[in-house]
Amino acid sequence: MQSANIIQIENLVKRYQNLVALDHLNLTIQEGEIFGLLGPNGSGKTTAINCLLALLKYDKGTITIFGKNMRPDSYDIKKQIGVVMQNVAVFEQMSVRENIDYFCGLYIRDKARRQQLVEEAIAFTGLEEFTKMRPKKLSGGLLRRLNIACGIVHKPRLIIMDEPTVAVDPQSRNKILEGIVELNRQGSTIIYTSHYMEEVEQICTRIAIIDHGRVLATGTTEELKQMIKTGETITIESIVLDETLVAGIRKLPHVFDLSYEDQTLKIRLGTARHNLVRILNYLQEQDVVFGRVFSELPTLNDVFLEITGKELRD
Amino acid sequence: MLHLLRYRFLQTIRNVPVMFWALAFPIILGTFFYLSFGNAGLESTGESNWEEIKVAVIKEGDSSENSQAFETFLEQMDGEMLDIQDISQEAEALEALNDETILGIFYVADTPSLTVARNGLNESILTSVLTSYNQNASMFRKIAMTHPESIMDAMETMKDYRKTTSEVSLGGGDLNPNVQYFFALIAYACLSGSFLGVQSSVDGQANISALGARRSITPTHKLTLVIIDMAVLLLVHFFNILILCLYVSKVLKISLGNDIPSLLLVDFMGSMIGVCLGVAIGCLARISYGMKTAVCILCSLFPGFLAGLMIGDMKNIIELHCPIVNRLNPAAVLSDAFYCMGIYNDMERFTRCLLILALMSTLLLAAAFLGIRRERYDSI
Repeated sequence: MQSANIIQIENLVKRYQNLVALDHLNLTIQEGEIFGLLGPNGSGKTTAINCLLALLKYDKGTITIFGKNMRPDSYDIKKQIGVVMQNVAVFEQMSVRENIDYFCGLYIRDKARRQQLVEEAIAFTGLEEFTKMRPKKLSGGLLRRLNIACGIVHKPRLIIMDEPTVAVDPQSRNKILEGIVELNRQGSTIIYTSHYMEEVEQICTRIAIIDHGRVLATGTTEELKQMIKTGETITIESIVLDETLVAGIRKLPHVFDLSYEDQTLKIRLGTARHNLVRILNYLQEQDVVFGRVFSELPTLNDVFLEITGKELRD
Repeated sequence: MLHLLRYRFLQTIRNVPVMFWALAFPIILGTFFYLSFGNAGLESTGESNWEEIKVAVIKEGDSSENSQAFETFLEQMDGEMLDIQDISQEAEALEALNDETILGIFYVADTPSLTVARNGLNESILTSVLTSYNQNASMFRKIAMTHPESIMDAMETMKDYRKTTSEVSLGGGDLNPNVQYFFALIAYACLSGSFLGVQSSVDGQANISALGARRSITPTHKLTLVIIDMAVLLLVHFFNILILCLYVSKVLKISLGNDIPSLLLVDFMGSMIGVCLGVAIGCLARISYGMKTAVCILCSLFPGFLAGLMIGDMKNIIELHCPIVNRLNPAAVLSDAFYCMGIYNDMERFTRCLLILALMSTLLLAAAFLGIRRERYDSI
C-alpha cells in the first residue's frame, strides 16, 4: 500500500541576492520513511530544511506538511515536528533534565504527561546517569544525545535531523543510529542529513542527492547504485605495469576508468558478468605478476561522488 | 507558562558572566568608590568641607519692608553660607555669573528672586536659601513689628540653615558632592541590564543562534516567548538594581532619599531601559555575540561617564554647554531622578525625569519588540 505523503516540496526557489540556493527543488517524503538528504557543503540541504520549518523566507514554491501549507504560524504542524539541529542547541546554564523538560514544555502543557515524556527521552538517549550535569560537563557524544533528547522528547510525528552525529565517537554514533531506527520503528518519519555515507546507507530507506539547490537523484540505495556507471571496482596490489599494459587494460570491455599509482591498479568497470576473470586472464597472458586482488561493488559514496562530482567544495 | 518562566528565570540568574556585569560589577565599583572617597569624603557634614557659595546681591526698585528684611537676611548669611561679592551692577553680576566667578545672583526686591546659570548642588542650595526665606518672610515681618528686639535671634536661627541643609537635605538625603558618583553608578547599573537583554535576544533569534532556531520552531507562540523573556529579564534586573540600592544605602550608608515608591518606580524604568536597550542591540544580526557584548559595555559605560560615573562634575559641565545631551542620555536622566528624590525634593523636575524615562522605555521596548518578534528570516 502506498504511504501518504507527509512532506511535499514543489518548485522551491530561494535566492541570496545573486546566489541561487534552491533552484526549483522538488521533494516528496512519505510517512514512515527514514529519508536521507545528501549533498556536498553548500548544496542547499540546510536551506531546504530551514525553508521547510518556515524559518527562512523563500522566493517561490510551496511547502506542504501533513497536507497543510507550512507557515510560521502553523502551530498545529509545528506541534508534530521535532528538530535536531546541526549545532547543539541547549542552555548551558541548565542541567540535562532541565533542558529536556524546558524544551518539552514548549510543546506539552500537561505537567504529568511532560514528566513522563522527559523520563522516556532520558532513558531513550541513555542519559540517566547525567541528568543533573550541565552541558559543559558532558562529552561530545553525550552532548549530541542531549541535543537529540531535546528534539524528540515530545514524540513528534516528523523528526528532522541535520547532521546529528558530527564529531561523535563510533560508539556514540552507533547508539544514536540505533535510536533513530527505533524512533522510526515507533512511528516517526525521519529526515536525515549527513556527510557520512555509510550512516545514510545503513539507516535510510530512501535517499535524495541534492546539489546546487536541485535534486539530482532520488531512490533507495540500490536504485541509486543502478543509476551510476560503476558496477564494480577491481583493485590489484603489488603490480608492475608499463604504459603499454595500462593502455591494454583500458581497452578491455566495460572498463571506463583506471588509475595506477604506487604499484596499485584500480579499475572501475560497468555492470557486466566475469569482469574480474577477464582482467586476470589478460594479465596472465601478458605474464604480469601481481599481489592481492579484490573486487568491490559500488557504495553510496561512489554514487555520491559520481553524481555530484569530485571537485572540492568549501 | 509558569514552567517556562521558571526555567527562563533559572537560566538567567545562573548566567554568571551576564550577572557579573549586571549585578556584581556595579557593586564592586560602588565599593571602590566608597573606599577611594573614604568616610570623610562621604560625610555630609563637617565644617572643614564646607565652601561658601559666591553670589552677587543686586538691589531692585524702592526699598520696601520686605526687601530690607531680605537684604538683612542675606547679610547675615554672608561669611557663613554665602560669600557675597562686591558687585552692585546687574550687568557686571551677569558677566560674573557667565564666567562662573559667582554661582548666583540674588535680587533684593519686594518679591526676592534668584538667577543661577546651571543646575548643580550649590545652585540647589541657593534655591533652597530663597525658598526658605520666602517661607519664613512673614514670620520675620511679624517679629520685626511686634518684637523688633528679637529679630536678631530669628536671624540666628536662619544662620543655622547651613548646618541644617548640609546634614539633612530637602529630600532627606545627603548633600555631599561625592554622592553623585553613586547616583551615576546606579544609573549605569540600570543600563547594564543590556547584558541580560543581549543574551535573551541572541537566545530567541533563529538567524543568530541554534537555540533561537530551536525555540522558533516550537508551537509556542513567538509573542509568548518574547513576553516571558522580557518579564523574567525585567524582574531579574529590577532585583539587581534593588540589591545595589540596598547595598549603597544600607552598607555604604549613602542616602537615596526616603521616597520608596518613587525609588522603586525609577529603578523599574531604569531596568526596563537597560533590558530593552540590550534586546535591541541583540537583534543586530550581522555582528558576533562578543561584539554585541562590547557594544553593551559601550552603551552602558559611556552614558554612565557622561552622567558623572568617572568625573563627578561631568553632568554639570554638559548641562552648561549642551543640556540636550543630559535630556537624551538615559543615565543622566536616571541620575537626575535620583538627585530629585534624594536631595532636591524637586517634584516638578522629578516628574520631568519620569516622563523622559517613560518615553525612552516605551521607544526602546517598541524597538526591542519589533526586532525580536520576527518569525521568518531572509537568511540564517
